[in-house]
Amino acid sequence: MDLSAYIAIIISTVFINNFILSRFLGLCPFIGVSKHTGPAISMGIAVTFVTTMASIITWLLYKFVLLPYNLQYLRTLSFILVIAAFVQFAEIIIQKKSPALYRTLGIYLALITTNCAVFGVAILNTDMFFINNKAVAGSFFMSVLQGFGAGAGFTLAMFLMSGIRERLEFSDVPKCFKDAPVTFIIASLMSLAFLGFSGFKI
Amino acid sequence: MEKTGLFGEFVKGLWKENPTFRIVLGLCPTLAVSTSVNNGIGMGVAATFVLVGANIFISLVRNVIPEKVRIPCFVVVIATFVTIVELAMKAYAPLLSRSLGIYVPLIVVNCIVLGRAEAFSSKHPPIRSILDSLGMGLGFTWALVVISFIRESLGNGTVLGFYINRSFEPALFMILAPGALLTIGILIGAINYFMSKRR
Amino acid sequence: MNQLLKFGLVLGVICLAATLVLAVTYEVTKPKIEEQLKAEEQSALKSIMPSADSFVEKTLDGIEYFEALKGRTVAGYCVRVTGNGYNGPIRMIAGVDLDGTIEGVSVLENSETPGLGAKINEIRPGESEPWFLKQFKGKSAGTIAIKSNIDAITGATISSKAVTDAIRKTVDDLLGKLKK
Repeated sequence: MDLSAYIAIIISTVFINNFILSRFLGLCPFIGVSKHTGPAISMGIAVTFVTTMASIITWLLYKFVLLPYNLQYLRTLSFILVIAAFVQFAEIIIQKKSPALYRTLGIYLALITTNCAVFGVAILNTDMFFINNKAVAGSFFMSVLQGFGAGAGFTLAMFLMSGIRERLEFSDVPKCFKDAPVTFIIASLMSLAFLGFSGFKI
Repeated sequence: MEKTGLFGEFVKGLWKENPTFRIVLGLCPTLAVSTSVNNGIGMGVAATFVLVGANIFISLVRNVIPEKVRIPCFVVVIATFVTIVELAMKAYAPLLSRSLGIYVPLIVVNCIVLGRAEAFSSKHPPIRSILDSLGMGLGFTWALVVISFIRESLGNGTVLGFYINRSFEPALFMILAPGALLTIGILIGAINYFMSKRR
Repeated sequence: MNQLLKFGLVLGVICLAATLVLAVTYEVTKPKIEEQLKAEEQSALKSIMPSADSFVEKTLDGIEYFEALKGRTVAGYCVRVTGNGYNGPIRMIAGVDLDGTIEGVSVLENSETPGLGAKINEIRPGESEPWFLKQFKGKSAGTIAIKSNIDAITGATISSKAVTDAIRKTVDDLLGKLKK
């Protein structure tokens, strides 16, 4: 596995298969927390941190516990537990070590447990990667990169969306389309733009 | 506390508090699998089963579970039901399980399920919880069917896999990601409009 | 501390119960799931080579393949092929006769984009088999390639290429090893 394969994973998860805009994972915070740029970026960073760490942890769990003992059917249960435990743990650590960081990221961390993006990336990591024309569960670095890429793509989409929505506050949207509906329609246009990347297969 | 009648508990999920259109929850599966009516129905039924099963259980043990660890407990219960659905689907409906893909395990993080467990079942007796979750599940299902009907018919020219009209050239856009977002945006907007008119 | 113990205990009991329930469900559904997979594979094999009476699974140099038998004589080979599709693996079965001419291809599982890549398995109204896969029939496995003798699906070049390349490589590999 050479460097180009790793770069390809990043580009593909950030742009081509952007988690929000093409896989629809992590839509709830995308609609809920994208009103202002500041919180949107904080949320993005928190998600990136958790997706990366969750990729590492679930990969280890899958490789060294679930696969050897043929327990793949416990995947859903064990992954969600591990992720929930990790998020809780991270929350406590951050609260103790850096109260300032906690004040900006804290509430988002709590929301992340039920963020589909985190769980989705963990599941996707176990499902598909191609090495020598054979589908295998991702290698360690590929999983970590995919986790990071997913978070980065999430942050990018959050950032773009919050920028648009800050402007939107000054425009005259029909009352019944305020908030969620208009956000969906904007997301649709963004997703259309991101479709432009879809010709690439690296 | 018990103000609404039993029937009211059931009906509210269908329209007034419809999880998809009114509360805007559980969107990931809604948008991702709504490419065909078949998938929509499958996903709706799977999610309803998880909702009802998990909520009955949570409602039964609601007095035993300590406040502080309730979320992990709920999550474990939900994950169990999801895995049961996943295995059962693989065994008895392999085609459906293929086309729903990773979105079946993702029911675990569907906010509707945890949301109902937290907001309703952990505070109400089993009968009410069953009605509530059944209503929510059916509300979710019909929303999915509507969205997938629009997307499949416009985007692929078919309904339930049957061609509507051979001369109709489908708008591919609708079946791809942007079409999903556009459909739900317009639907929610339209429903908001009707609701405000009625008042 | 006492409270912590109680929390742990409750959570532990619930986890244990959940694992037990899942283990039972798994054991109950496992034979059924395997049976489904087998049945699916068998029906794919039959549709690729309708004239063969039975298929025997064999292994050669790490490649698993099926020998299609007509009575006692070998009529051809079928092999499991996995293509690197746009959204993930595409699982297929390809069948060739003894000269390496493709008899048929059947897609078992794919997660390609509906409306684009998923058309590899699309059956047009009034037809009985997917039009994209039909192109492979009667062509020599070593020669198939997009743009030369296989038409790609509009807007889904990646999926089309994944299918074509995977079949060519896997079948070529198998035939090469069989000849030795």
